[in-house]
Formats: sequence, C-alpha cells, structure tokens
Amino acid sequence: MDVLYLLIPFSVVVVLLIVAVFGWAVNSGQLDGFEQEAERILLDEDQGA
Amino acid sequence: MHAADADAQALAPFTTWPDGPGGAASSQFQVAGMHCAACSGLIEAALLKLPGVLGASVNAASARLALRWLPSEVALADVLAALQAAGYRATPDVAAPARELRRQERRQALWRLFVAGFLMMQVMMLAAPAYVAEAGELSDDLDRLLRWGSWVLTLPVMAFAAGPFFSGAWRQLRARKLGMDVPVTLGIAVTFVASTGALFDPTGPLGHEVYFDSLTMFVALLLLARWFELGARHRAADALEAVAGSLPMTAERLAEDGGSERVPPEMLRAGDRIRVAAGEAFAADGCVLSGQGFVNEALLTGESAPVAKAVGDAVVAGSISVDGSLVVGVQRVGADTTAQGIVRLMQQAQSQRSSAHGILDRVAAGFTAVVLLLALGAGVAWWWIDPSRAVAVAVAVLIVTCPCALTLAAPAAWLTASGALARRGLLLADLSALERLCAVDTVVFDKTGTLSEDRLQLRRHWAPGADADLLLAGARSLAALSRHPHARALADGSVGHWSDVRELPGRGVQARDPAGALWCLGAPAWVSPQPDPQARLAFGRAGGGDGVLWLDLAEAPRADAAEAVAALRAQGRRVRLLSGDQPMAVARMAAALDIAHWRAGATPESKLAAVREWQAAGERVLMVGDGINDAPVLAAADVRIAMGQGAMLARSAADALLLSNRLMAVPQALSLAKKTRSVLRQNLAWAALYNLACVPLALAGWLPPLAAGIGMACSSLFVVLNAQRLNR
Repeated sequence: MDVLYLLIPFSVVVVLLIVAVFGWAVNSGQLDGFEQEAERILLDEDQGA
Repeated sequence: MHAADADAQALAPFTTWPDGPGGAASSQFQVAGMHCAACSGLIEAALLKLPGVLGASVNAASARLALRWLPSEVALADVLAALQAAGYRATPDVAAPARELRRQERRQALWRLFVAGFLMMQVMMLAAPAYVAEAGELSDDLDRLLRWGSWVLTLPVMAFAAGPFFSGAWRQLRARKLGMDVPVTLGIAVTFVASTGALFDPTGPLGHEVYFDSLTMFVALLLLARWFELGARHRAADALEAVAGSLPMTAERLAEDGGSERVPPEMLRAGDRIRVAAGEAFAADGCVLSGQGFVNEALLTGESAPVAKAVGDAVVAGSISVDGSLVVGVQRVGADTTAQGIVRLMQQAQSQRSSAHGILDRVAAGFTAVVLLLALGAGVAWWWIDPSRAVAVAVAVLIVTCPCALTLAAPAAWLTASGALARRGLLLADLSALERLCAVDTVVFDKTGTLSEDRLQLRRHWAPGADADLLLAGARSLAALSRHPHARALADGSVGHWSDVRELPGRGVQARDPAGALWCLGAPAWVSPQPDPQARLAFGRAGGGDGVLWLDLAEAPRADAAEAVAALRAQGRRVRLLSGDQPMAVARMAAALDIAHWRAGATPESKLAAVREWQAAGERVLMVGDGINDAPVLAAADVRIAMGQGAMLARSAADALLLSNRLMAVPQALSLAKKTRSVLRQNLAWAALYNLACVPLALAGWLPPLAAGIGMACSSLFVVLNAQRLNR
C-alpha cells in the first residue's frame, strides 16, 4: 500500500493539469457553441459553420 | 459645438433624446460582472452620485442598464469610469460588443463551473475513504495525506471559482448594503478557515473535522445554478437580437456633386441621401426619392412577401431591397429608427423591475441582516453547549439562509416568459402586462389589418352572356404580369401568351392575346363604358362591348384567425369584433370566423365608448388592433396588443407588439401568462418554505453543512428550472 503515498500526490498533480487543459479549451472558444458543432456535420464543406 | 456634435454622433447608436437634442439623454448599456439582484442596487447608487445623472435603472436578470443623464454635464467616459470603480464593466448596448461581452461572460462562467465541479468530484474521492473506513483500517499518515490532497484541490476553488462571491460580497460591504453574496462568502470563508485550522492543528479549538468536500460542492452547485441563470439571461438577450436584426455595416452616401462614398451608418444624418442597391439593407429610416422596387420588410412586419416601393414611400431601417436600386432621403438614424425603436421597447421592458421584484430586493437586505445575527447567536449559544459544534452550526445557518432562491424567483419567471413570447413573434413592451393578461376575459379584435390580411381575395365573379370561368382563367394569367395588389389577389401562377404588356397607373394592365386582340384588366370604369356597380375589377376587350368579366374582391381573414378565435373561446373568453368598416363586410368576416359579438361602422369615439361600456360591465378587455387608427381605444383597454406594422409602432402605447402577425400568439400569450403566474407563485412559495423549514433545523444543530449546501443550491436550481418550463 506504500505506493499510495506516491499515487495520491501524483493524482492531485494530474487533476490540476486537466483543469489547466480545460481552461485552455474554454478560452480558445472550443466550447462556445454546442448546438453549432452538432449541426456542422450536416453542412457541406464549403458552407463553413 | 463641433465637439458636442461629435459626442452626440458617438452616442447615437444606443441613445435617444426624448426631450430633443441638448436635453436629457436616455442610453442603454450592457453590464458585465453582475451576479445577483443586489448588484443592481449598487450600480444605481454608484451612478446616481455623479452630477448630471438623472436616473439609472438596472435589470439584474438581463444585466442591462438604462441611464437618463445630461451629456452636457458629465462625459460618457466618466460614467463608464464610475462603473469600473464600482467593479463592473459596461458597454454601450449596440448588438456586437454586447454579444462579445456575453461570450466572455459565458466562457468565464463555464471555466469557473468546471474548476469547481471537477475539483469537487476529486475532493469527494479523497474524502470518501475516511467516511467508509472501519476504525483502524486507515492509517493516520494516509488520512493526513488525503486531507492535504483535499486542501490543495480546494485552493483553486477558493481562489478562482468562488471569486465572484468574494468580489460581490466586497462590493456589497463597501456600499454598506447586504445582499446574498455576504452570507454565502461568510459561509465559504468560515468553512475554509475552520477546516484549514483543523488540518494544520487537529487538536486546536477549531475541531478536527474538515469540510473541504461540502465546501467545494457548495461552490459548484451555486455556480451551476448561476450557469443556468446565465443561460436564461443570454437566451432572452439572443431572442431580442434575433427579432431586432442588424443594420448594414456601411451605407452608400451620395454627395452633392454626384459622387458617392461608403460610410458607417453612425455617420449618416437626417437629410443625407443614400443609395441602396438590390440585396442591400437600408441603414436608416427614410423616404424614397427616386427609383422603384420591391422591399422585404419581414423584419418588422413578419410579412415575407416583398412590398412595392415607389417615389414618396417610406422605408425603414433593417428592411432589405429585393430588386432595383433606390435613392433614399434619410429621415431618422441610429436609435431613432423604427427597428431600434422595437429593440428599445424590449429593453425598457426588461429594465423595468416589476413591483413584486422591488419588494423582494428590500426584503433581501433586512433578511440578510437577520441571518447574520442568527448565525452569530447560534454560534455563541452552541459555544456554551458544545464548542466543537459551534462552527458547524453557525456555518449551517449561514449557508442555509442564503436568499438566492428568493431573489431569483421573480426575474427568472418573467424573463423566461417574455423570451418564449418573443420567439412566437409577440414582443412584450411592459412585463407587468403578463400579470394583467391573467385577468382578461374579453378579447376585442379590430378587423382590417388585424383579423384580415391586407391582401385581397377573389370572392365572386360573373359575366352576363359569356363563359365566366373561361374569362377568369384569362384574367388570372394576365394578372400574373402585374404587381398591383388587386392583380396579386387574382394571380394563381398560371401564365398565358400575352404580348405588348402595358401597365397603366391608376387603371390597370393591358396586353394582346395571340390573336392580336387587346385585353384590359383593371378598374371597371376603364374596361367598360357601363361598369357594374358591384364589381371592383373588370376584365374584357379594349373598348368595352359584350363579354366583360366582373370581379368582386374581398378581404381574406388571416390564415390562423379562425383557429385563434376558436382557441380563445375554448379558453372561456368572450371574443368581440369592433370595426369601422361597412356592416356587410364586418358581418361576412364575423360569420367566417364564427364571432357572435360584432359591431360595424364604429368611429374611433364610438369604439372607445364601447370598450368603456364593456369595462363598466366588469369585463377585462384585451384589445388587439393595428395601433394606428385604434390608438385611443388601445389606450383605454386593460391590455393592448398592436400589430407590428408601420412607423407608428415605436410611438404606440401598446403593451405588446405582434410582429409575426400570427394571431395564434394571442391565445398562447394568455395561457403563458397564466402559467407564468403559477410558476412565480410556486417559486416564491418554495423559497419561503425552504427558508422557514431549514432555519430552525440549522439553529438546532440537526443540519450538517453538507446537507445545508445541497438544499440551498437545489432551491435555487428548482426556481430557475421551474421557470424554464415556460420556455416550452
């Protein structure tokens, strides 16, 4: 069980990394229009979105 | 003078001058950084301190500020700086910057919600072993490590996600006004400090329990409730913009010397001449100076068929020229245009806080003060009974009594309902109309332009001594070549072999058939020397003679008029028809729509008298009219809906504008008003019940902070989600 002393701090660091990645995704506009993303597949390529 | 002019020009897109230029200005702003109803009071107080500000009204749910001020006494920059100092950002409310602001707000809110929500789950995971472990299963070292992990993961929640609560509370304290952010922040801070103390010194006075799981959950749920509120608010704003449409980015202004330049619409002044090419939108209201063509005014009237415009006709900003190039003399620009007038009506409706709403604000302040005293008293009392639980009880009291649900209850319901109506084409200018609509038991319709379309329809055709149907087919095919309203009523899409087609203004259209004979379709007196007095249109060989086809045209009821009348009657409401038209025409319309109570030949005065008479008999009257001829009658009715046509629109005294011209929106609005009232009552009852039930429990120490946090967030969510039902 000694490995827990490594894994718990490690998981905390990973969680903070995930939060940072999500922050980048939100602030670069990837989550701005959920509906629009779903409809994109119906559009022809040259129509854009 | 020039500086003042330039200022007025810069203000034009979002400002109107109700007292004329140089007087008080009325400007609209979008405010960012608002989190609760209490913020609106802070902004109003901060602005009213400025010299030259006559009035400021902020709507918490739509985050809009309506400012009445004197630009001669205070600069716009100073107003914005005062807002900034108070901790808010404002942009003039013209669509694009406001939309950008909304996007930023949305991203920020989503980011905070994710931080709080995701870390909440992780903290829960780290807290779970201590809850499920049997005695001795979890070593002390491991327990400490898990707590430390929770603490580290809680830090971003406290420092970032909970930021809006802290800044909100700080603003409220600085303004010496208690709002909901103060008890929330106190609860968060107290929990965090108590838990951190317990982590560093488990034997200390703060006890040994840590509450990081309930703390992060509380913040996450509160942010989730706010996220929904944000969504509702943005949806209302989007609905508004969808109706308002947008003005073109540039307009082609003609110079005196015959040249032209492209300028932004803000640069246009009354008196300028602009050229609008086919496919372009009009940048300003005005009057056609030269050229002719068809214009799509769907934006304003909901009528998708283009309307013919010739020299002297009025055109409105935002409508689109379908064909032909028109030169337009600008009469109104910017915020004075009809399109912007509609937007403004809508915004003012959203800035007017209803009276019930205002009472809640006042209650909230006193309520918060009582809550703080209760928490303090409970903490002190429990300190004597059981010091280890004093903090937990005080925290529970603070969390459980947050008046969040109470302040959200009314605006959530009103705004959702008005957004839902806007999507059906009914713009509410006065939100309190929703309440008055509930009492309506009589619906009075005007006929022309309201129940009937402006378009005519063939009612009867006859041709003494000839084959009427054969002639009618010829008339229809010739009618297809004309754009006159009478001809449009007749045309059914069939085409004939006509040549030499000529349209004679005021008379009709004439053309040659394959055999070379000249035929005329138009005014009876023009087609034949002996016109039939019953006919409105005639079709025959030029020069008259035998075999003339006589046509009678009548108004067509709107497609959904019968359905709307039936729906209103099914709701148990009396439907009346009040018209200034001839008894024959009114009787025909009443029979077609199955309306038993009708009055014809009414003048504006006798219409007014009739409405007064019904009101005296105890009826609550909803008047639906076209808003121009019916202005006095509309003003007398209990609730007024105007059809959304023409430039009188912005000046009409209507509570609501039926932009789509779909009459079904009227019964829908009536039933939605009823639903809104019951949702509002449910919301208020729930918020009051929740606080009444939970405060004694928290005081008695039976409510753990976790349960209190869930309960509070749920009550807020309940209120917002309950209001969302009105969207369906």
